Amino acid sequence: MIKGKAWVAKTYVMSFEMIIQQYWTSPIDPVENARWVMAGVDEAFNKENGFKDFGYTFIVAGHNFAGGGKSIEHCITGLMGAGIKAVFATSFARLQFRNAINYGMPFITARDMNLGCDTGDELEYDPESGIIRNLTKATQFESVPVAPFVAEVAAEGGLMSFIRKKIADGSIADLH
Amino acid sequence: MAFNSGRDSVVPGQLVWVDVHTVMTMDYLGKQCFKAFESLGTDKQLFDKERVICVSDHLVPPPTEQWATMLNEWRAIVKSYDIPNFYDLGRQGIAHQVMVEQGHVLPGKVSIGTDSHANTYGAVGAVGNAIGVTDAAIAMATGKCWFRVPETVKFYIKGTWQPWVMAKDLSLHIMGMMHWNGHLIYKSLEYCGPAIEALDMAGRMTLCNMTVDLGAKNGIIAPDEKTAAYLQPAAKGQWDFIASDDDARYDAVYEVDVTNVGPTVSRPDKLDDVVPVEQVVGTKFNKAFVGTCTNGRTEDFAIMAAILKDKQIHRDVNMICIPASTQVYLECLQKGYIETLVKAGAAFETSSCGPCAGIHTGVAGDGDIVLSAGNRNMKGRMGSKKAQIYLTSPAVVAASAVRGEITDPRTFDV
Repeated sequence: MIKGKAWVAKTYVMSFEMIIQQYWTSPIDPVENARWVMAGVDEAFNKENGFKDFGYTFIVAGHNFAGGGKSIEHCITGLMGAGIKAVFATSFARLQFRNAINYGMPFITARDMNLGCDTGDELEYDPESGIIRNLTKATQFESVPVAPFVAEVAAEGGLMSFIRKKIADGSIADLH
Repeated sequence: MAFNSGRDSVVPGQLVWVDVHTVMTMDYLGKQCFKAFESLGTDKQLFDKERVICVSDHLVPPPTEQWATMLNEWRAIVKSYDIPNFYDLGRQGIAHQVMVEQGHVLPGKVSIGTDSHANTYGAVGAVGNAIGVTDAAIAMATGKCWFRVPETVKFYIKGTWQPWVMAKDLSLHIMGMMHWNGHLIYKSLEYCGPAIEALDMAGRMTLCNMTVDLGAKNGIIAPDEKTAAYLQPAAKGQWDFIASDDDARYDAVYEVDVTNVGPTVSRPDKLDDVVPVEQVVGTKFNKAFVGTCTNGRTEDFAIMAAILKDKQIHRDVNMICIPASTQVYLECLQKGYIETLVKAGAAFETSSCGPCAGIHTGVAGDGDIVLSAGNRNMKGRMGSKKAQIYLTSPAVVAASAVRGEITDPRTFDV
């Protein structure tokens, strides 16, 4: 069970605003990327540790979260470093959805949840059942279950560790 | 997906590890891909160095010392692996253009790249997919990448293309039809029908390129004789004609009559805020841009040259043209398009992604109104958040540049 405060996106959240251009070429590192993550999304986040210092645990968004292109994984590592434990959205842009899976970061599909939540609401997420409760508003939401592969990668601490282990034990040839 | 994962069949939703034909990475993420690859424990053994394609496109030529240094580090690591297919400044191009024109993507095969517009590869009947550093590193080591088998949505395009109407107009038209509200997210889009068969390879590339901006996983067009003729001089490897099964199941089928599609414009800030050009005719702008992996091909500069021949670009408009690759640059030079456009007052730059991603070579400043044949117009995309970007076809950009205001090329005296 994960509990904490949510930031709710009012509009589309674009990956090139989550990580602004001058940091696209930074090393991919949660601590480093968290310093400026979300800097272009909202003026309030546009300072060092601007987003991180709010102490949010969850993000709630509508359609196409982290859309607008850009292969940068910094969007994901930045959120991880800033303390985000899960993002709930009606839909995710596929490239960052994929990156999130590869880093074991829960990007959870929960339709229209953004319409029933406000920034600052206290949420509680049960990864087992997929139920998200809004404790502030005493409401609850269901989410789309996570695929077994996604859970397996997350349990290994991400796809790099997952593959590294398979290379080391020789089972990499069995990938199918 | 079935064929490339050693299966007889696959179903939507299934997660499979697929054999990739080629892995592309480029200057600003490439070094990180190699470093991540090295951390996997395969003793620096690439799955096939002929099939790891390296391109300098985002940062060339470097505008700052920092990027010059970064490029040097990139060159050093590519050279250390003796990568034969390295397209660096002088032989460069936007990675997606290079991948297709140099025959690194083939029908029926899966190619991946660390840039979102890898969807372009669908123009030759390949599955083209954008991935991050992690996936690139793993594919460089294993030749494999995981995929969730997508549902497919079919776009049947019929009718006759009207004069001055381009694939970009159809692409924006579909953007306006479908919006960003999730209908096409994660889907594979299949374009077919007589109007697609009539389209040249440049148009097919434009159409598949922008499927990522529709939210789709990929876009694909079945290979035909045009594909074969295009691939013949350059294809690196064997391929076969492939097509959808007769009994293929589609999540949805949409039909568009291209006869009714005119020049189309996406208004600033939201890609899906799309209108027929008539609704924005007369809008003044001060910058014009034609280039990118969407519309920087020889055919795009050909139509511009036809419109701008013996004309002058308006004094209040600065136009920047960037051919999508060195090969495109050379073709345009040989066919005289560059001479025509330079005489009209256009500035030409060497091939790169340029200002499309707001990096360099003509980024937008405060108050700029840009008429662009690129692919994205969100606030801040080309530089300043206080700039506005209208997206449209090269034909509309060319006609409008003469008048200094958005113009319908069909009403323009060529």
